[in-house]
Amino acid sequence: MRLAVVGKGGAGKSVVAGTMARVLARQGERVLALDSDLLPGLTLSLGLGADPALAPMGEAAEKDENGRWRLKPGIGPARAVQRFAIDAPDGIRLLQAGKTPREGLEPIMGSFNAYYRVVHRLGDVKSFESWTMLGDLPAGPRHIAFDWAPFARTYVVVVQPTAQSALAGRRVARIVRMREGLKAVYIANRVTGKADVTHVERLVGERVIAALPADDGVAEAERLGLAPIDHAPDSPAVAEVERLVATLANL
Amino acid sequence: MKIAVAGKGGAGKTTVSGTVARAFARAGHEVLALDADANPMLGVSLGVGPERTELLLGVRQGLETGEVEHEPTIEGMVERFGADAPDGVRLVVASRIDNDSPGCQCCGVSPDQLLRELEGGDRRTVICDLEAGLGTLARLEPGNADAVLVVANPSAKALEVARRAIEIAEDKTEVIVLANRVRDHADLDAIRAVLGDRELIVIPEDPSIARADRDGLAPIDLDEDSPGVTAVVALVDRLAGAPVPA
Repeated sequence: MRLAVVGKGGAGKSVVAGTMARVLARQGERVLALDSDLLPGLTLSLGLGADPALAPMGEAAEKDENGRWRLKPGIGPARAVQRFAIDAPDGIRLLQAGKTPREGLEPIMGSFNAYYRVVHRLGDVKSFESWTMLGDLPAGPRHIAFDWAPFARTYVVVVQPTAQSALAGRRVARIVRMREGLKAVYIANRVTGKADVTHVERLVGERVIAALPADDGVAEAERLGLAPIDHAPDSPAVAEVERLVATLANL
Repeated sequence: MKIAVAGKGGAGKTTVSGTVARAFARAGHEVLALDADANPMLGVSLGVGPERTELLLGVRQGLETGEVEHEPTIEGMVERFGADAPDGVRLVVASRIDNDSPGCQCCGVSPDQLLRELEGGDRRTVICDLEAGLGTLARLEPGNADAVLVVANPSAKALEVARRAIEIAEDKTEVIVLANRVRDHADLDAIRAVLGDRELIVIPEDPSIARADRDGLAPIDLDEDSPGVTAVVALVDRLAGAPVPA
């Protein structure tokens, strides 16, 4: 599968992406998780904590004679994943663009550029053909429009039952569907009943393929910065993610 | 005065920004609400409604499509592309990314530039709702904003973003931290454990604000006396000083 998880900030993208990755990995898939968010999120939901030992991709990049970033000679996508991806639970490999440090964006520009080039060449690697790739994108439309997840064929748009979340979901789905061959599917998150699902479906104008219930276990995992699948493995929301994964596999 | 509002997506930036803008306007200020998010939503929490918010043209896109013939001034852009919101607030959307070829972001008018060049001063109060994350804050220069409101709700991710936002902003301007959607002492303790022992403006969990968010209304229109709105208005009274006589 080739997936990207998108939506408004706070809609639950990282929780969905992190839990989907863990579920898929436990089913025996080789999972490459791809994190282009400059803010922490996915690492927590995968169960790595806020600041795992990072392998920033800065070393993969250099500037050419015109001052433009490029990958260093000899570093292709396979090598980059081997060297710069880190291990996450259940055998997941995680590649990250980098996180904004105190000094601003300047120190991570090399890493950021290397990541962008590598994700655009993941399709060249034969040995990745059988892998599941799952991207967690930052809030909003920016990374979709600028093609930060070129590996993705299906975009999972996460919407919670609020007007702003639905508006954002509609906007990102519209951009995804401007590209040929790409699918966008909606899921509802943090619903407290059928009325919330209907509310989301009315606001986005179509059916959702899954609805994750508001769930105390997941909420507590969020508060503590833990992976929902570790902290609340039997919660209804995790069960719904398992159903979602099955649905996506049959799309 | 110029105030920027920052935080993780979903922490409540836009809801706070809209309510702060309306409260300043009700205190007698001339208010310019600048939506600096590429996913602009400020119209919703200002009370313009989701449908009209969706129709607002970004300044950047307006200029690109030739809506203005001559070299525009900043004030000219506000005049041309601004929309009226309740209580006399003027709303300006800096830029919206709404297609799959949005063009080079280094060229043309940027949200950063509008925040930098718009004049606050005695004449007017600018409330700027930033894009989720730390990008704009990282590029902020001293003098671009008189204060940054950092909005955090009690989740590990939002607090981590808030911690970084404070670190980045406090060298450049005054930082005021808003603890949003606080239910109890445990929430406050969780926030203090990450952000330390600094002053927090506490905005309690508020069913009326939750309903406004659900239905796409301005919280201040749904119930101006709800606990959350009251907390925001109290902050604005402090920032605005004495109410300006009509």
